Amino acid sequence: MITAGLLMAVTFAAALLAVTLRNVLHAIFGLAVALLGIAGIFITLGSPFVAAMEVLVYVGGISVAMVFAVMLSTVVARQDEGGRRRVWAGLAALGFFAAMALVITRADFGPDSDPSEQAWAVAEIGGDLLTHYNVVFEALSLVLLIAIVGAVAISRREAAASGSARLEPGAIDPDGTGKSDVESEQRGQDA
Amino acid sequence: MTLPAFTMFALLLFCMGLYAVLARRNLIAILIGIELMLNAASVNFMAFNYFVAPDPAVGQIIVLFIIGLAAAEVAIALSIILAVYRQRRAIDIEQLTEVKG
Repeated sequence: MITAGLLMAVTFAAALLAVTLRNVLHAIFGLAVALLGIAGIFITLGSPFVAAMEVLVYVGGISVAMVFAVMLSTVVARQDEGGRRRVWAGLAALGFFAAMALVITRADFGPDSDPSEQAWAVAEIGGDLLTHYNVVFEALSLVLLIAIVGAVAISRREAAASGSARLEPGAIDPDGTGKSDVESEQRGQDA
Repeated sequence: MTLPAFTMFALLLFCMGLYAVLARRNLIAILIGIELMLNAASVNFMAFNYFVAPDPAVGQIIVLFIIGLAAAEVAIALSIILAVYRQRRAIDIEQLTEVKG
């Protein structure tokens, strides 16, 4: 299990970069490397399927979306935190770490059981998802749908509000349509 | 590698995420901290699933749910961050104090 230790070290270093680097874009790249390391740890824990999902959704989706968000709000790419704030946050994190480490070292996790290969099969996961956890599965798909609709609605309303504020009633509308302005601005902001 | 080693590693990840949430002022950096904390929970689920669970498929399914919920959360959070940025030209939490009591 040397691979697991190596992956943990890489993940730890990358996560440290992700939480300390001033430039947010660099922090996101650190997060992406840390997520890849966590996917590797999932493989050492015997589940290539979940590792693949982690890479697809986190590294391929979430990290890229964050990079886009940074590019759309470039003013804040670099930022200094106050020293006092860092110290208090570090103390809080260290305190939590100490308390939980105490709990973990004293806990009795019981005897390790041998995982059976059959239970790890993707077919088993798929069967469970569509039988025992059917309701949760459907609820999650509903949550995702609502999230997509909500994200689009938030972006659209902001664009429409800023567009109508600029095009006041009674103002001269060169195109005579009154709508093309809003749409073109919206396209510009989405791009 | 034993179960306590994985648990301690997950605890380290969680504490780094906690530090980022508390220390950073940029909304996207705070989001990075939240992602680290969610992943620490996922590592814990997978480790317990591998070492002690009687039915090893359950932990994987929970991790899949965590990944799905994280994706939805990030989509909403990023659209809110961009809306805030359009309104205020800033995503620094020190400057977002309108609803402060």
